[in-house]
Amino acid sequence: MSIQNLNTFDPFADASKGADDDVQDGLVHIRIQQRNGRKTLTTVQGLSSDYDLKKIVRACKKEFACNGTVIEHPEYGEVLQLQGDQRENICQWLTKAGLAKPDQLKVHGF
Amino acid sequence: MAEDDAIFDPSLKKKKKKKKTAFDIEAALAEGGNDAQDAAPEPDTAKEDEQDDANVDIDLDFTKKKKKKKKPFTAEDLDAVAGEGKDEGNEGGNQDEGALDDNFDLEVDFSKTKKKKKKKNLGDLIAEADEKHEDKENVDENSAVWMTSDRDYTYDELLKRAFEIMRDKNPDMAAGKKQKFVMRPPQVVRIGTKKSSFANFTEICKMLHRQPKHLLDFLLAELGTSGSVDGNSQLIIKGRFQQKQIENVLRRYIKEYVTCHTCRSPDTILQKDTRLFFLQCETCGSRCSVASIKSGFQAVTSKRAAIRAKTA
Ligand SMILES: [Zn+2]
Repeated sequence: MSIQNLNTFDPFADASKGADDDVQDGLVHIRIQQRNGRKTLTTVQGLSSDYDLKKIVRACKKEFACNGTVIEHPEYGEVLQLQGDQRENICQWLTKAGLAKPDQLKVHGF
Repeated sequence: MAEDDAIFDPSLKKKKKKKKTAFDIEAALAEGGNDAQDAAPEPDTAKEDEQDDANVDIDLDFTKKKKKKKKPFTAEDLDAVAGEGKDEGNEGGNQDEGALDDNFDLEVDFSKTKKKKKKKNLGDLIAEADEKHEDKENVDENSAVWMTSDRDYTYDELLKRAFEIMRDKNPDMAAGKKQKFVMRPPQVVRIGTKKSSFANFTEICKMLHRQPKHLLDFLLAELGTSGSVDGNSQLIIKGRFQQKQIENVLRRYIKEYVTCHTCRSPDTILQKDTRLFFLQCETCGSRCSVASIKSGFQAVTSKRAAIRAKTA
């Protein structure tokens, strides 16, 4: 029989996991990138993995009349990618759909 | 685009006279003393604008044309305007005296026209001073009306009086006046079709007292692109960017990494402690951590075939 009290317990064991939180800081990062010419790309990183991103992208494509895809990234998880500058649209849509609170959204870019 | 090019021509740097905008923190620091007095009584439209923005912490305004009197000259700037004539030189001198004052002006105003300042000579300054004086008297009269008469004071009168006393006693109180922080605008020109140059990048880093690398990291992360500082200390960014876009990003940088989060003073130091950056305020002594710069997810934007060719 093992004595519970003598078990070694590292109180900081889960602190090392905090490094991951660096990536998922609870914010939804909405970024824009330039492609060739006037074309741009909007990426949405940090949406909760509880959501079905595929369904979200399907809805967004229809709503904003643009193409889009879900990209699986080893570090950042599933990232939504939409064609064009959809930053305004996606912010409004996410808030309206209740998927993210306005203060969770962090819009980057110019 | 041709028009843009004309405006954002980096050669403007040389022709100071035509440069439509000014200036920097130093100058901002040098102000204040003068502004402190006129802060209260001035039914200016510009003033109203400012009040509209009051809930936005600082009025990081790049575009508004200010009518406000301002003399953003410092010794530093004197070199720049040396060729411009005697009267300006005088003004610069005055300003230096003002620099002793530890007030500052916190509004990032990228677009203030230099013309406005040029019009100002000593005569104007005196006239202005008189004006201010009169204003002050008026206010005093207003607030003192009930003191001499039998009638009761109104709430507004008392409130006004309280604020006046507060301002009188604490001339450098942040809440008492709108602080200004004048910035020189970024000079952005296109290079060919695919790159942009941020010509006065290094200069702006100096003004903000920040490491070029820090600002560079921020800019590139925000714009989701790559770039580097070239031999002429200008920043070459991949992609097409306009001045106002860079301004937007700079504005956000200043808000997060330059001005104190507590008192809005730009007189801050950015220190790196272990993995985090801390913003230490030299005015109020507050110290708080600031967001680290992460570029996050970057989508593939170049031609995949080209990447394959490169890696293969
Ligand atoms: Zn402070």
